[in-house]
Amino acid sequence: MATCICDAFFDDVARATVEVLEYLGCAVEFPEAQTCCGQPAFNGGDWAASRKVVRHTVRTFAGELPVVIPSGSCAAMMFHGTLLEFEKEPDLNEVAELSRRSWELGDFIVNALGIKTWPGKYEAKIAFHRSCHTRGTPSGDAAMLLLNSIASLTNVAFGEGEQCCGFGGTFAVSFPHISSNMGTLKLEHVRAAQPDVLVSGDMSCLMHLNGLAEKEGKPIRTQHLAQILRDALKNGGLI
Amino acid sequence: MSAHQPIDQYAEKLPPDKRASVYLSTKGTHEKRTKLLFDQFADPNRLRHLAGEIKQHVIENLDTYLPQVEAKLQANGVKVHWASNAEEACAAVHGIMQARGATKMVKAKTMVSEEIELAHYLEKRGMEALETDLGEFIVQIDHDHPSHIVRPIIHKNRREIAQSFEREGLGAYNDDPQTITRRAREYLRHKYLSADVGLTGANFVSAESGRLVLVTNEGNSRFCLAATKCHIALIGIEKIVPRDRDLGLLLNLLARSATAQQLTVYTEFISGPKKLPQGEGPEEMHVIFVDNGRTDVLETECRDILRCIRCGACLNVCPVYRQASGHAYRSVYPGPVGAVLSPLLAKEKFSALADLPKASSLCGACNEVCPVNIPIPDLLLRLREKGKSEHAPLASLDTPGMGTWSLLASQPTAWKTALIGGKLLNYVPTTLLPVPALRAWEKQRTLPKWRGGEFRKWLKDHRKK
Amino acid sequence: MSRVRGALAPLSERAPLPDWDASLVALRQRSTGEDLWTLFAERLKAVNGTPLQDVAALVELLDRGGWHHGYCDATIWNEIKSAFPAHFVVETRFDRARVDEYKFGITPADGAIAETGTIILSDARTENRLTALAPWVHVAVVRLEQIHQDVTSAIASLPADPNVVWITGPSKTADVEGILIEGVHGPGIQAALRWR
Repeated sequence: MATCICDAFFDDVARATVEVLEYLGCAVEFPEAQTCCGQPAFNGGDWAASRKVVRHTVRTFAGELPVVIPSGSCAAMMFHGTLLEFEKEPDLNEVAELSRRSWELGDFIVNALGIKTWPGKYEAKIAFHRSCHTRGTPSGDAAMLLLNSIASLTNVAFGEGEQCCGFGGTFAVSFPHISSNMGTLKLEHVRAAQPDVLVSGDMSCLMHLNGLAEKEGKPIRTQHLAQILRDALKNGGLI
Repeated sequence: MSAHQPIDQYAEKLPPDKRASVYLSTKGTHEKRTKLLFDQFADPNRLRHLAGEIKQHVIENLDTYLPQVEAKLQANGVKVHWASNAEEACAAVHGIMQARGATKMVKAKTMVSEEIELAHYLEKRGMEALETDLGEFIVQIDHDHPSHIVRPIIHKNRREIAQSFEREGLGAYNDDPQTITRRAREYLRHKYLSADVGLTGANFVSAESGRLVLVTNEGNSRFCLAATKCHIALIGIEKIVPRDRDLGLLLNLLARSATAQQLTVYTEFISGPKKLPQGEGPEEMHVIFVDNGRTDVLETECRDILRCIRCGACLNVCPVYRQASGHAYRSVYPGPVGAVLSPLLAKEKFSALADLPKASSLCGACNEVCPVNIPIPDLLLRLREKGKSEHAPLASLDTPGMGTWSLLASQPTAWKTALIGGKLLNYVPTTLLPVPALRAWEKQRTLPKWRGGEFRKWLKDHRKK
Repeated sequence: MSRVRGALAPLSERAPLPDWDASLVALRQRSTGEDLWTLFAERLKAVNGTPLQDVAALVELLDRGGWHHGYCDATIWNEIKSAFPAHFVVETRFDRARVDEYKFGITPADGAIAETGTIILSDARTENRLTALAPWVHVAVVRLEQIHQDVTSAIASLPADPNVVWITGPSKTADVEGILIEGVHGPGIQAALRWR
């Protein structure tokens, strides 16, 4: 699944995801009918609207293939959120079936494919922002494992790493003041660690943070985990 | 453009020094808590999960445990009362005091008494109900409200407190925290000694032994129970634990989660009125079990919130609480736990607090620190759904409508057209577009370039190769 | 009660009560085999409490602080009075009307918890609850065989007493700007005297 945010704004992230998975020997299918995971309405409390979208997603991704998602937040919607909003629905089983096949990208590479180190090289100091929506899942550790194994890459820690960046979907627009304060605080911590690139498994967090940084006139360089992995392969002449 | 969410507005108007003190103190406690738990226990998460299972078991079996605990307490010489709402709970306290001819009460900190507004009730009837926890005492003399479950005056600085003490005749202006504390010590100890009744809550009640467990740091509840002749305990019906030994787990989690201590200074186990030859302490003991909306919560899918042991760890870690502080939540229970509990306890007034569950980025930090592992984000989501389906205006305020979106997102052809059509965004300023959410986004952030369709185009070319 | 039953009636199954083993809450750096008093004294110091090795140390503490008037449990007083100089005024009955006159209270403990530096008091062993609470200094007399390793073992042997209290360090607050102040309503000095 491309995720609608990559489909609309960050095509290179979707592309990097395909390239990384193909490098690992996966044949990647992209069902053209895909739209969105249904999260905006789910988080907004409009579960009826969300379920409509989820049902479409369930039809689109019918089959047995694992569904890999380059976003912690959309993945969490697929493997957790959908179960909550369908718990009293007659088609819960179909939804649960897709939920069991849904993986966040880093988690898929490390825990489904068993890859523990990443080849190639990436000469940069990076900081990794863990996606809040994968708290309590193996995704964060999986990404850290892969990143830390890349030659020439330095991964720096920053203050209050467990805190949210303030995106939170519609929260960003319905609580603009709190959201931007949270983001500014995150940017301060990240900047203090002086990374070349801020990396995350979620483009939405990065879109929010870089959006704030640009508005301040101090843009930061951001990349998705998939882009780092793909670029490391390129730099190493592996693709 | 409509007004923003009330909690966001409150945060915006909060003076910077207040925000800084709330932020620094919650951050400090949170970080100490995490260090202590992970330094001392091999698997603190296992403990949280286990404690959560025990408390979930209790709330789903209250129909067994409540009669059991009542029988135990009675056997221990305690009079047991049941109050289904605030009015009944207050009246029960008042009745006990009247029967003894009592007019003076000293109170330890209890959230239930805040919930039922006991002090006001008694004061209106000519009785004194004096708060003895330092923070609560200051809240009381200022006619203010607590803004944190564990740290009631986290929103006040020493200068404000010194002014209040001066105004109340507790000495000339002095903002040294030690002096403030000593003055309260001197003033309050004579109040304890002349009081008729000591009122406390309880952190836990063991169904096995009927023991009440009370934790404090200041020693004020101890003084209430050493100096008065009658003890009244106000207890929410969800405070039960099955066995005494479960206290070993919960006490190990409570103080670490609340204040980053192994144990609070005073941990009291009370199983009845004093017996001779003990020279001091209550000869009469009453327990009032308070429902006040809890059984309504028990009926809902949000019943997990009744596991809460009121440690405040979710407040301390919450980025929204840190920015907005407690009064923004306009209820007795602030922060993530309050965002779930307060609207539910409000019952028919739910819609007035329907914005509380929205005040979260759903980051899940609250669940991660909860000593009884309450899935707070899931409960917030359920309440958002409730707010939306009951058409509570505060549940939708400033949130983009999802109708058009869901229509698009369930029709792939329309979706693809929109993906391409979105390119319009790159040429037309968002101020001219009829999408308030985009305008709101761009007030504080830039929007990246729209590249809808590009990935799909690339993939087609890539497939041909 | 009927409302509670009604609220729970629709639940098709109820969450079971899990059993758990005390080893789960054992501290990581658990010191085993060590003398429990040594561990207790170290942990008591960590919570700003004052361990006292012997009666001489107790007398020195009180003398240094200028606390010469206080209360002592009658039985204990019989055993320790010979070590107290004549300028001490020690009463074995506590008069609540003169509560502020007592600068210290010496009472027998019902036990202690080593890992947390906690003193355990019970009504059965405390003649008057105020004696361990109102004076600025409280000294609990702890017998070595009464020291429990940890919280779970202390819970397992809670005495059948209407009032048991665990005290972990001096009474304290951080309500004003998060600044730690000791001696709020209870003692500002919480000491434990090692007893044979």
